[in-house]
Amino acid sequence: MSTDGQFDSALDLLRRLPPSSTSANLTRICALAPDLTEELLSSVDQPLEVRRCKKTGRDYLLCDYNRDGDSWRSPWSNEFEPAIEGEDEGAKPSERVRKLEMGMGEAVDIYRELYYEGGVSSVYFWDLDDGFAGVVLLKKTTPTGKSDGGWDSIHVFESIDRARTSHYKLTSTVILRLSTSSDALGDMDLSGNMTRQIEQDMPVTDDSSHIVNVGKLVEDMELKMRNLLQEVYFGKAKDVVGDLRSIPPLTEANREKATHQEMINSMKR
Amino acid sequence: MASNNAVAVSAFIEGAPPGELADVVTDIKALTEDDPTLLEKARPAFQKYNEEQLTTVKLPGGGGKKNVLISSYNSLGEGRYYDVESQSSFAFDHAAQVRARPCDAVRWAKLMRGAGGGQKASDVQSHTLESEHGDLISSLSKTLTTHAHEHYPSSTSAVFPVATTASLAILLVSNKYSPSNFWNGRLRTTYLYHPATTALTGTLKCDVHYYEDGNVRLLTTKTLPPTTISPSASEIMKTIAKVEKGWQEELNRGFSRLSEGEFKSLRRQLPVTRQKVEWEKVTSYRAGKEIGGGRR
Repeated sequence: MSTDGQFDSALDLLRRLPPSSTSANLTRICALAPDLTEELLSSVDQPLEVRRCKKTGRDYLLCDYNRDGDSWRSPWSNEFEPAIEGEDEGAKPSERVRKLEMGMGEAVDIYRELYYEGGVSSVYFWDLDDGFAGVVLLKKTTPTGKSDGGWDSIHVFESIDRARTSHYKLTSTVILRLSTSSDALGDMDLSGNMTRQIEQDMPVTDDSSHIVNVGKLVEDMELKMRNLLQEVYFGKAKDVVGDLRSIPPLTEANREKATHQEMINSMKR
Repeated sequence: MASNNAVAVSAFIEGAPPGELADVVTDIKALTEDDPTLLEKARPAFQKYNEEQLTTVKLPGGGGKKNVLISSYNSLGEGRYYDVESQSSFAFDHAAQVRARPCDAVRWAKLMRGAGGGQKASDVQSHTLESEHGDLISSLSKTLTTHAHEHYPSSTSAVFPVATTASLAILLVSNKYSPSNFWNGRLRTTYLYHPATTALTGTLKCDVHYYEDGNVRLLTTKTLPPTTISPSASEIMKTIAKVEKGWQEELNRGFSRLSEGEFKSLRRQLPVTRQKVEWEKVTSYRAGKEIGGGRR
């Protein structure tokens, strides 16, 4: 029997083990506690897979929100690939929400070109009783060489209808993988993921407002997260290495510190 | 299936970040409460982890201040290890964490995070080193300690003879744990000096974990190709100091390279126009207007 405690332990474990092995460790945890599988697959973000839409030839991204069993819905054709056999055709958004999904997909495609200058984006929406929800996905990888990189953005949001406004709740995760190697350096891998949440009420006049609102929320969040990633990856991680080993001899550094302290003390006198 | 699960538990232990083994074990216990034998079966993984990570332990006696390290190079088998400087051997219980009850987990985690790891050695016995390289070992230990004091704010180091390869293992581990700020780090250096061929080889490994609202890990490995140095402790240490300095400067350049290169080319801070997106304009969506699917 699995428990809430087990679910929390699984998340804690994944927060500690190497982020580059999250997918492998997720599979291992699901084998240990099969009851957690569905809940973990929908809560743990993994690097996005790319697939080509058979009908339109455009690339789209796979995630738990456009999955039904072993099939995924293409945002460009609105069809599941491979097609789902039998009466159950797989969950699709209502006509109104599908229209919104296509509009957002088109806008995010422009956003992607402006910020990522390449890569792949996908948008999936679904209906809620009092509004709708969706996920905005962006992915880019740099060509494999001496240095390597990959960025995956996963923005999951809810939009709850209020009078003349909507209440938006956004949870964003960025998975950033970087690596480089050389004879002098050896191998260096700097990988991870960070998650942030925000809630905000924004004015709504008609359905097109949702695209503007979600677009702004995603854009502001990505700007914030890019700055945060820069700080953690290239500031914090580098500082910790400096804490573990000092390039200048410590006796020298300590002597300088002592001299500095002496100066301060003499000024106080 | 069951054997796969045992492999999984071992993989979790192997992936534990610096100073977080106790937390990882607590999670494993919760996930394997239906089958506690899984953790029992992973005992070899604990030994492997402690020896590879150069786990530090406090040696009883002498005020309990002396830290010694665990490695495959000072293993006497049967969970016993020796220390050259204090001429003693001691027992180390790799599986202590397996037995700790969940209520002990918090205490364990605290102990593990203490300076030097906090794990205790027991059953100390005297152990006299027998090696034809006794003099070189003792002078290398001294110069290594001086080197450590110059560059590592908090470290444990040791030199051991390795009979099987007729070489000397020169080991150092530097830990810094700051779980209240959600980061922990470890740097390990392992050099092997072969007096007969006068060749020095080695590896430098750095492991940094940052986990506030996320999980970011820096993992680096640098292998030193065989270098010939005369069998003098000061010459060997001079080479080691030079190698480490060069590597650390290169690592700092690695951070800049990734920051200026890959990071920037993945996602711009702002579009070329230096303007944020005008969402009202980029969407052709208007209420009541049909949009066609497919390509724009």
